[in-house]
Amino acid sequence: MSEALDPRKTFGEALVEVGEKNKNIIALSADSSSGSQLTAFKNRFPDRHIEFGIMEQGITGFAAGLATTGKIPFFVAIAPFVTARSFEMFRNDLGYMRQNVKIVGRCSGLTYNTLGPTHQSLDDLALIRTIPGVVVLNPGDPVEIKKVVHAAAEHVGPVYIRIGSPKMPVLFEEDYNFTIGKGILMKEGIDVTIIGTGTLLYQAYSAAELLAKDGIKVRLINIHTIKPLDKEIIIKAARETGKIVVVEEHYIAGGLGGAVAETVTESFPVPVKRIGVDDQFGSNGPYDQLIGLYGLRAEQIAETVKKFIS
Amino acid sequence: MYSLNENDEFRLKKNALNIRKNILRLIKADRAGHLGGALSSVEIMTALYFQIMKVDPKNPKWEQRDRFVLSAGHKCLALYSTLAEKGFFDESLLDTYGSFKSIFPGHPDMHKVPGVESNTGALGHGLSIGGGMAMGLRMSGLKARVYVVLGDGELAEGSNWEAAAAASHHGIDNLLAIIDRNGLQIGGRTTDVMSYEPLAERWRSFGWNVREVDGHNFKSLVEAMSAIPFEEGKPSLIIADTIKSKGFSFAEDKANYHYWKATTEEIEQAEKDLAEIERRLVG
Repeated sequence: MSEALDPRKTFGEALVEVGEKNKNIIALSADSSSGSQLTAFKNRFPDRHIEFGIMEQGITGFAAGLATTGKIPFFVAIAPFVTARSFEMFRNDLGYMRQNVKIVGRCSGLTYNTLGPTHQSLDDLALIRTIPGVVVLNPGDPVEIKKVVHAAAEHVGPVYIRIGSPKMPVLFEEDYNFTIGKGILMKEGIDVTIIGTGTLLYQAYSAAELLAKDGIKVRLINIHTIKPLDKEIIIKAARETGKIVVVEEHYIAGGLGGAVAETVTESFPVPVKRIGVDDQFGSNGPYDQLIGLYGLRAEQIAETVKKFIS
Repeated sequence: MYSLNENDEFRLKKNALNIRKNILRLIKADRAGHLGGALSSVEIMTALYFQIMKVDPKNPKWEQRDRFVLSAGHKCLALYSTLAEKGFFDESLLDTYGSFKSIFPGHPDMHKVPGVESNTGALGHGLSIGGGMAMGLRMSGLKARVYVVLGDGELAEGSNWEAAAAASHHGIDNLLAIIDRNGLQIGGRTTDVMSYEPLAERWRSFGWNVREVDGHNFKSLVEAMSAIPFEEGKPSLIIADTIKSKGFSFAEDKANYHYWKATTEEIEQAEKDLAEIERRLVG
C-alpha cells in the first residue's frame, strides 16, 4: 500500500510487455514519445514506433488506416489532444469504422496543474463514452494500469485508456482478477457506497478508511471500466446501501458520476452525489492543492460523504 | 509509358455510361442525392476499378487487394454505382436507395456495402485513413496500393494537410491521391469560397509528385494512374480537371446541383442526355 509508482512509466513497461506478445502492436507518437513513455518500446521495437509530429487529428486517421491492415496501434499523447481535439476522428474513424486502435490519454485530469485548462482534461470521459462500441478504461493504480494495457491489447475494437501522471499508490495485488466491464468490490459496507475511479481511486479508498474510523460502514467500489459500465454492481449498491457517492478527477457533468446517475435513475433511483470539478475551467497551482480546491482530497471527500448521508 | 488502346477506351466509356445510368437509378429511388461531385468523378472511378486496381468483387476482403478510399464521401453515388457495375453486388439493390432496407447510406459505410473500405462523409478524413492503409500494407510487405479520391472544396479542411505532410515525410509511395477538381462547391466557385490554388505548387511544396490531367479523358487518366509512383519514395497526386455534374446537360458546371432534388422534367432530360451519350458511343 505504501509503494507509489509513476503511472506513465508503468504504462510504458506494459506496452513493451504486450509488444513482446503481439508483433502487430505498434506505437504512434505525436512528438511526445518521451513524455508518453514510448521510449522503451521504441528502443525494443524501432520498426514498430512511428513518429508523426504534432498532428493528433491526422494520426487518429492514420491509426484507423493502419488497423484495417491488421496493425494494432497504440496512440499515446496528452489526454485533451487525443480526445477533445481529434474527437470527430475518434468517433468516425475509430468508433464508426470499428477499428482496433487504442488511444491513450496520459496526464489526464488536473495533472497539468500549472499549465492550465488547455492541457487539463476534465471532459474526456464524457466525450468518449458517447461513442458507440468504444471501451473506456480508467485504471486506479499501477497494477491496474498493467492489467488495462494487457486487456486493451487483447480486446478487438477501439479502446480509450486514461492515465494520470502523479505517482499512484499500489492498491491491488498482482494476481487480482481484472475483467473489462466488471467493477471491483474493494470494501463491503451498508451505510453508503463510494465509487472511485482512476487517479482518485486512492483518495476514495482513503476517505472510506477515514469514515470507517467514525463508524460509517462504506461500500467501496472501483469502476475501472467507464464503458461498458458494470450496471449490476451499481444497482446492487443502490439497492443495498441507498446512497451513492462518485469520486473522479473529471467534470461532474458527463463522467462516471453522470453514468452512475443515469443508471440508477432508470433502474433503482437513489440519491447520487457526484464529486469532481464543477462547471468551471481548472485553475493552476500545486497538484495536491489543486485537487483540494475542488474537494477531491480524502478528508474532504469524507466530509462530503458525512453531510450527504446525514 | 502506358498507352490505353482503343478497345480498352471504348470498354471504359461503356462502363462510365453504365455508372452514370446507375447514379440516375439511385437518385430516382429517393428523388434526391449528391449529384454534381458524383458525376464529375465517374471517369476517375471507372479508370481505377476497370483498368488500374486489383480487386476481386467475389472476395472483397482479399488481403492483397488495392484499397480505395473516397475521402469526399458525398460522391458515394458514383462509388456505389461503380461497385455495382464491377459486380460487388446486384444492381437491383440500387433501387432501395433512401429506404430503411437499403445498404446504401448517403455517405459510405464499409460495414454495409461490399467493397467499401472506409466510412467517410465528414470531410478531411480520407487521406489520413488511406495514408495509414498504405503504411500498414508496406509494413506488412504487401505490394498493394491505396487510391484516395478527394474533392477540391474539401481541401480547406486542415486535416488534409496533416495527412499530406505525413505521407511525404514517411515516403509513402504506394499511395495515389486524386483530386476531383470540378471547381465548384456548395457556395460557388472553389476559388471564390476559399482558394487553395495553385494546387499543384502547394502539393509539390508538401513533398508530393504531382500531375495534372483531364479528368474525363481515359487516356490521360490511365496513363498517369499507371505511372505511380511518379517518383520513388514520394506519394503521388493526380489533379483531375473535371466538370461538375458531367453528362447531365442542365446541371453541368452549376453549383446548385451539388445536391439535386430531382424534378420529373429534369429526370426525363437526364435520361435523354444518357441516351444521346449511348447513341454516340455505340450508334
